[in-house]
Amino acid sequence: MSLAELLSLLPQLILALGGTAILMCGAWLPNRRLWLLTGMGVALTAALTAGLMEPPLAEVAGMYGTSLYARFCTIFWALIIALTLMISCRYAELHKFGGGEYASLLLFAGTGMSLLSAATSLVGLFLGLEAFTLVLYILIAFNRTDNRGAEAGLKYLVLGAVATGFLAFGIALIYTASGSFHLQEALAGLQVEGSLRPLGLAGWALLLVAVGFKISLVPFHLWTPDVYQGAPAPISAVLATAAKGAVVTAFLPLLAGLGSAGAEVKSIIWLLAIITMLVGTFAALPQTNLKRMLAYSSVAHMGYMMIALLVGGEIGGQALLFYLIVYSFATFGAFGVVTSWALENEEIQDYADIRGLGYLHPRRSSALAAFLFSLAGIPPLAGFFGKFGIFHAALRSDYAELAIIGIFTSLVSLYYYMRPIIVLFMQDRAAYQLREGCREEFVLLASCFAAILLLGVYPGPLLELIILVLP
Amino acid sequence: MIADTSTNFPILSLLLWLPLLGSLLCLVWRKSPNACRWLALGTTSLLLVVSIGLAMSVDPVGGWLKYEDYRWIETFGIRYTLGLDGISLLLILLTAFLQVIAVLISWDMRYHPALFFALVLVLETGIIGVFLALDMVLFYLFWELMLIPMFFLIGVWGHERRVYAAVKFFLFTLAGSLLLLLALISLYLLHGEQTGVYSFALDALKQTELSSTQEMLFFLCFMAAFAVKVPLFPFHTWLPDAHTEAPAAGSVDLAGLLLKTGVYGMIRFAFPLFPLATQKALPVLAVLALIGLFYAAWVAYLQLDVKRIVAYSSISHLGFVILGLAAWNQTAWEGSILLMINHGVTTGALFVMIAMIRQRTGTREIEKLGGLWRTQPNLSAFFLLFCFASLGLPGLANFAGEILILIGTFAEHPVWASLAVGGVLFSAAYMLRLVQEVIWGPSCHPHDRHDLCAREWLIVVPLALLVVLLGCYPQPILEPLREPVQMLLGGLP
Repeated sequence: MSLAELLSLLPQLILALGGTAILMCGAWLPNRRLWLLTGMGVALTAALTAGLMEPPLAEVAGMYGTSLYARFCTIFWALIIALTLMISCRYAELHKFGGGEYASLLLFAGTGMSLLSAATSLVGLFLGLEAFTLVLYILIAFNRTDNRGAEAGLKYLVLGAVATGFLAFGIALIYTASGSFHLQEALAGLQVEGSLRPLGLAGWALLLVAVGFKISLVPFHLWTPDVYQGAPAPISAVLATAAKGAVVTAFLPLLAGLGSAGAEVKSIIWLLAIITMLVGTFAALPQTNLKRMLAYSSVAHMGYMMIALLVGGEIGGQALLFYLIVYSFATFGAFGVVTSWALENEEIQDYADIRGLGYLHPRRSSALAAFLFSLAGIPPLAGFFGKFGIFHAALRSDYAELAIIGIFTSLVSLYYYMRPIIVLFMQDRAAYQLREGCREEFVLLASCFAAILLLGVYPGPLLELIILVLP
Repeated sequence: MIADTSTNFPILSLLLWLPLLGSLLCLVWRKSPNACRWLALGTTSLLLVVSIGLAMSVDPVGGWLKYEDYRWIETFGIRYTLGLDGISLLLILLTAFLQVIAVLISWDMRYHPALFFALVLVLETGIIGVFLALDMVLFYLFWELMLIPMFFLIGVWGHERRVYAAVKFFLFTLAGSLLLLLALISLYLLHGEQTGVYSFALDALKQTELSSTQEMLFFLCFMAAFAVKVPLFPFHTWLPDAHTEAPAAGSVDLAGLLLKTGVYGMIRFAFPLFPLATQKALPVLAVLALIGLFYAAWVAYLQLDVKRIVAYSSISHLGFVILGLAAWNQTAWEGSILLMINHGVTTGALFVMIAMIRQRTGTREIEKLGGLWRTQPNLSAFFLLFCFASLGLPGLANFAGEILILIGTFAEHPVWASLAVGGVLFSAAYMLRLVQEVIWGPSCHPHDRHDLCAREWLIVVPLALLVVLLGCYPQPILEPLREPVQMLLGGLP
């Protein structure tokens, strides 16, 4: 590899090398807090590098691009990794996590995500996806004394392995049909007279299954609630935001590359979007566990994002990215509150345990309420403009039926988002307090809250930025 | 249409954001209930003073009395546009006045007072925003902003079945609002395709050419949101629960202000945007209004809970208001808007009285009340006054509005008007029953002799003065309405 190529991948290199260095040094100097904060610094440096440094090459080794889009995604995933490390400060202390391993694994995950969003070849796609999924298997079961965590890790591993199989086979079929690994050539090679070759269509079907598993579209969503519930709360936050977001952002140019030949693929996604919205929403209704509810809510939100994906183009892409960012902040914040409430041996997740907590821990409870209202799409929080953008895109592109279903599920979803809020603020508590929040947690929750409020009141600049970076 | 502002000072934005500022300060000083109380009172009083000053300073001529317009979200063509005309001016005055009352009636709030007053102030921002916004998305934002504070006010500080009532309120109103949003975006896209300019401005959207099916569909979606809020029969079922379970200040705000936002939405947005569909729908609207008028009055007569009687009386009165709108002429419309203001004052006053009675007797059940006159003559006298005003006694507030509506309606549809007169009779029946059971009869609490205290005098005297003033001399209210109403009715058959 030439120096220019290395420089082009500098943000990813910083993440990976930083992770390695922390892993090595962590073995000699077991200081949890130090390594978490160092990891945060590394992630932020990577984000800064991606933002400020103009990469010398447009593409590296025919596998990874350095477009504005890829850099934008890299910044966002690196930021999420930094936020995760920040929120984990006390959580890792309580659960006796090895600081070095934990930080370095998260950095590796970030590398994988940013490579995935930057992939310009099918091989790059596969490598990126596997890079962070592998790391997540470990992170989900990181709490070795927790049976639920082990169960969650195993579940994710088995289903993830199946999905990997589908993905590999799908890629193989697409390669057979098109004769190229490079995305643009491969996608162009699949098309004959404006429609897909049969082999290519089969490949795409398998690819869709794999993607469906990763971003938990119905009917491939069954692992989601169990894994989210069992995984440590900060890891659930990564799973629900960056891990899904990276796949979605990689999928956007993939589908766009098909152009008009993608009609069949799009009709499958159309169906997936509808059942995902409906099943996700209605399955969330009876939940009485915060993390499981958030898991189903993330399923439903993936359904909304599929609408924007279907619309595609500038309008769809803009709606998708904006929604993804807004959703990520709100979901991350909600899991952040769960993290902050965690005890030594368990996490407070059941509604029965958070009864009346709103007045004992007003700041964190109000933040949680705000995140949930944002997810429900109530103005003036950012979730509103996210949904607004998606419905606007759907109506503009003759997907009125999707918009109507989306509006209907938004209404229903209000009920399950309201339930924790009711429990927090409108029920009495047999008074016992949880731990006071630490400084890092408050900073993080405050920044998530500021983000959803700011984006809800003044979304203009971000929307314009997204138009600028879209591929 | 757009008259320029006389000064460049953004007075409308001041009106809009002042309560929000007060609410933030409340949260900052949440450790001291006393500070919050005074802060809330200070903010609401200041707002009242500013809005009265505004009313004095503007010259009620046609067009917008004040107008503000800034860029906001250019990607979607959304602007920050506020406009004030005679109708919104009156409704803002009502809002500012009732909010002072709402703060005063909750003066002794012990359960998390900081949060309570903060929410009341946020609610005020939402309501004023609804009355000012001229950009449809901005309007929608404020429309929804009213929901969250009200949800918490009912759910946290309400009575026994508060959570049920709060959830019902939230879901009902949001269901209507989401349909509004859907229609709104579709209309925006149609307008954009036709003209190439994507904008959410009300004036621009009025120019959209629609087929009659589209127009009807959009109209129905808009009306779904507004009819739930009004509430028009048969969308009213959330209201008795919400009103009954809400704390005193919440009931005052709900009845006095939130219901008016629904009517305001109709006359400002739904009717002008879809004039042809409106003309087709007017008879239906009138029939629903009449059914609501009678049905709610009948149900009110059968209630055992004092608060529920007043809640159903609200539905009945709002039926009257909608009937006036359906008559579609100048007199009836002026009457409708006047009745909205009157109803806000009288029903607000009645809820205040009921809160005071409950404080003293600990009950709202009509069977456990009685003989209040013997122990609390002052309180009972005011209660009597407000009840008479509510049933439409000449010389008191509601009468002026009702008579204008009846005159206006009679000119167009004598049958509707004749039927509606019967409704007045009905309201006399339940109001008199209320008065009889609460004030007269054997005394249920003979030893409780707390009559009005100083703070309570401060609440009821302005309300009583206003009730008499609005009843005897409604001219100052009708004056600023003339031109805006003409403009809204204008250009139509």
